[in-house]
Amino acid sequence: MKYLLQKLGLFVLTLWAAVTLNFFLPRLMPGSPADAAIAKLSQNGPVSDATRAAIEAQLGVPTGSIWDQYVTYLGQVARLDFGVSYTFYPQSVASMVSTALPYTIGLVGIVTVLAFVIGTLIGVAAAWRRGTWLDTLPTLTGSFLSTFPYFWTALLLLFFLGYVLHWFPTTGSYAATTTPGFTGDFIADIARHAVLPALTILLTSLGGWIIGMRNAMINTLGQDYVTFAEANGLRGRTIALRYAARNAILPNLTGFGLTLGGVVGGSILVEQVFGYPGIGYLLFNAVIGQDYPLMQALFLMITVSVLIANFLVDILYGVLDPRTRR
Amino acid sequence: MAKTHMLRRWRRAAIVGLAAAAVVLSGCSIQITSQPDPSIGDDTMLINADHGNPFFTRNFNPYLTNTRTASRWIYEPLILVNPLDGTLNPWLATEWSQPDARTIVMTIRDDVQWSDGEDLTPDDVAFTFQLLKDNPSLDIKGAWQHLASVETDGDDVILHLQSEDAPSLSILGLTMIVPEHLWADVKDPGTFRNEKPVGTGPFVLGNYNDQQYSMDKNPDYWQADSIEIEHIILPATNSQLDTVSRGYDWAYAFISDVEGTWGAASEHNAWWFPPGGVIALMPNLEVAPFDDVNVRRGIALALDREEIAETASEGYMQPAGQTGLILPNQEEYLDPSIPDEGMITQDADAALAAFAEAGYTLDGDRLVGEDGEQLEFALTTANGFTDWTRAAQTVQSQLAKVGVKVTLKLPQPAGYQSAISNGDFEMAIGGMGNGDVYQAYNNLLSSEFYVPSGEATANNFERYRSDEADALLAEYRETVDPARQGEIVQELQGIVYDDLPVIGLYYGGIWGLFNDAKFTGWPTADDPYMIPQNYDSAPLMIFTKLERVKGDDR
Repeated sequence: MKYLLQKLGLFVLTLWAAVTLNFFLPRLMPGSPADAAIAKLSQNGPVSDATRAAIEAQLGVPTGSIWDQYVTYLGQVARLDFGVSYTFYPQSVASMVSTALPYTIGLVGIVTVLAFVIGTLIGVAAAWRRGTWLDTLPTLTGSFLSTFPYFWTALLLLFFLGYVLHWFPTTGSYAATTTPGFTGDFIADIARHAVLPALTILLTSLGGWIIGMRNAMINTLGQDYVTFAEANGLRGRTIALRYAARNAILPNLTGFGLTLGGVVGGSILVEQVFGYPGIGYLLFNAVIGQDYPLMQALFLMITVSVLIANFLVDILYGVLDPRTRR
Repeated sequence: MAKTHMLRRWRRAAIVGLAAAAVVLSGCSIQITSQPDPSIGDDTMLINADHGNPFFTRNFNPYLTNTRTASRWIYEPLILVNPLDGTLNPWLATEWSQPDARTIVMTIRDDVQWSDGEDLTPDDVAFTFQLLKDNPSLDIKGAWQHLASVETDGDDVILHLQSEDAPSLSILGLTMIVPEHLWADVKDPGTFRNEKPVGTGPFVLGNYNDQQYSMDKNPDYWQADSIEIEHIILPATNSQLDTVSRGYDWAYAFISDVEGTWGAASEHNAWWFPPGGVIALMPNLEVAPFDDVNVRRGIALALDREEIAETASEGYMQPAGQTGLILPNQEEYLDPSIPDEGMITQDADAALAAFAEAGYTLDGDRLVGEDGEQLEFALTTANGFTDWTRAAQTVQSQLAKVGVKVTLKLPQPAGYQSAISNGDFEMAIGGMGNGDVYQAYNNLLSSEFYVPSGEATANNFERYRSDEADALLAEYRETVDPARQGEIVQELQGIVYDDLPVIGLYYGGIWGLFNDAKFTGWPTADDPYMIPQNYDSAPLMIFTKLERVKGDDR
């Protein structure tokens, strides 16, 4: 119980720090949202002072002392009211986030779970049969693929499977000619559009899970209790899964918890490359457009989900491994 | 044992790596071809006009900053200006007159209907101007910086100006007109998204989803006979690869090696890149030594504009002269007494002579002042504006050859904008020039925009002040005689040429990409009837000029 309260206190403290940082960081960027909009316009020719005045009137420029703004902001955060987005003006931040979130959770969330499950299973197999092709092949290709920067993998897939072979659509989350709705066609289309970004994330993240699991597993396989189980003549599968893997999975589980927390932030580069309308893309646009309200809502969402994941992993660890509670 | 194992691993890794490298290298020789969507009919145009985001938010309020591009083809202006040369084309106003420099009378076209069947009336025009007055955030072209009041008289709308202000015609003419019978009930026009737009334009909104929308021909359009396009499709995302491979009929993008990419993708692909502005070095005239005209002249003479234009625009754009005019668009305004059409050519000796006038002499490979310090400054441009950055780098290396040390500053676009507005720079890269010559010189030179460094201004970022220029600009405003206006423009050119408030480098490009398989009649250098950009109001004119290639001709 004391352990739980300690962790909860820490959670609240970090949350407050994150919320506060979240308020100050965007304001340290030079220029205002109106400046960003005007700079974009001025590439196509000089912008008149009237246009500037109208844009400033539309987007508004934060007023009042920084302290007043901070208090207002805390109130808004408490009510989960993030106001109107500048880049998508006059759409509300809430409506933009709720449009983008399902795509990100669907794509990045499912792929992350898949990568973790597949990678961990391969890792177990690789460690159990270490030295054979079952070990070297996945370990080598996995580590090779994970050394690529993932936007590079994304670009290669996009170019070859999308533009050269025309196997998969290259952009968007569904074909423009498909009518959105709960129909077989629409779901199939969504899936087709998700293939390339999903493949990118899978390919680049699989290696980490494989190697993590394999190494932890090899470690536990050298423990006395495994040797003892072997000496008792238990079946290989039982030893691999019940004795070794169960203990070896702990560090991977921590990693998984944290990665899941990060899912909400989406995958900025992958979403950018594939024009996928998720949170990552939204965040990119928010930063480019100095869209404070949208940026704050997104950063906060990401921070809170990582913090919650962190908190849950802590609790889970406390349950699984009593030593951490001391 | 362990060693051979390691070696075997390395060999495997090397083989995998080589295979991947081969795949990547072979990619370089793969030609992307255009693959048009077969479901898009011959009467349908695919345009990459509305870009940036994978989401389309449903916003058809034509006065908001991120309105959907097509809202400017649903609503029409009174006068359609060609930004290339400032030509005024009658649009919802059939004609106009300026009985004096304080009054503009516009006659409103009388056979125009809104797409819901109601008639367009002069009252709609008066209502629109009142709407912009009541909601300053919508007044994006600044009509009420010029207007005093608006009244209707039969088919005419009479615009009373605040002062003698003849050039305001082209700004007031840009005002897009909205229907009174629908907009009068809008509670807060400043945040109104206008999801079901009703306008006078050639198209009405068709299907809409957040990845793509379409427009259908408005059968009751007042120029319906001239519109041969039945539908327009606008997809949400348009990467450069998409632009080349997706079979666009009309695209707008700067593309590297346009001939080998856009040109090679289809035999029907054509392009026209006219100059649309002047990219210039903008010294902060309040910062020493740029307050000395000899230093500015030295810099101007030290630059090789051919090389700058070539590097920055990949050779698509020409070097710009020192008159502030965009040539050849504005040739008619050129002062014949200015040598070489205002072009300053590189001349290292003359540059050093000019620097010497300002007290800078060459010491080894450094240009030093009387205090022995090297002449050096920071050049600010915006991160991500790649052509500007390449121009800045070329300027840096060319000035290094005459002993001037230039460091580059590349803030994000918002930071750049804030720096030049507030005078927080020594030298910056910026745009000048405009199809409307008066506006070009007014924005550049008028001391109305002057505030000292540290305070924000919207124009005249270099912080120039000259009584002579102010007097000429004031006289232009009061003059309705085109001949006298022409003389004033020539005098203003002389000021820019002699006083070098900014230093012209090269022209900024307009990147029009067309495909003439389905539609012909695009603007060209021989027939520059409109700027070839597929956003803003320019397409209104181009849509009326395009003709369908019928089955037999194909």
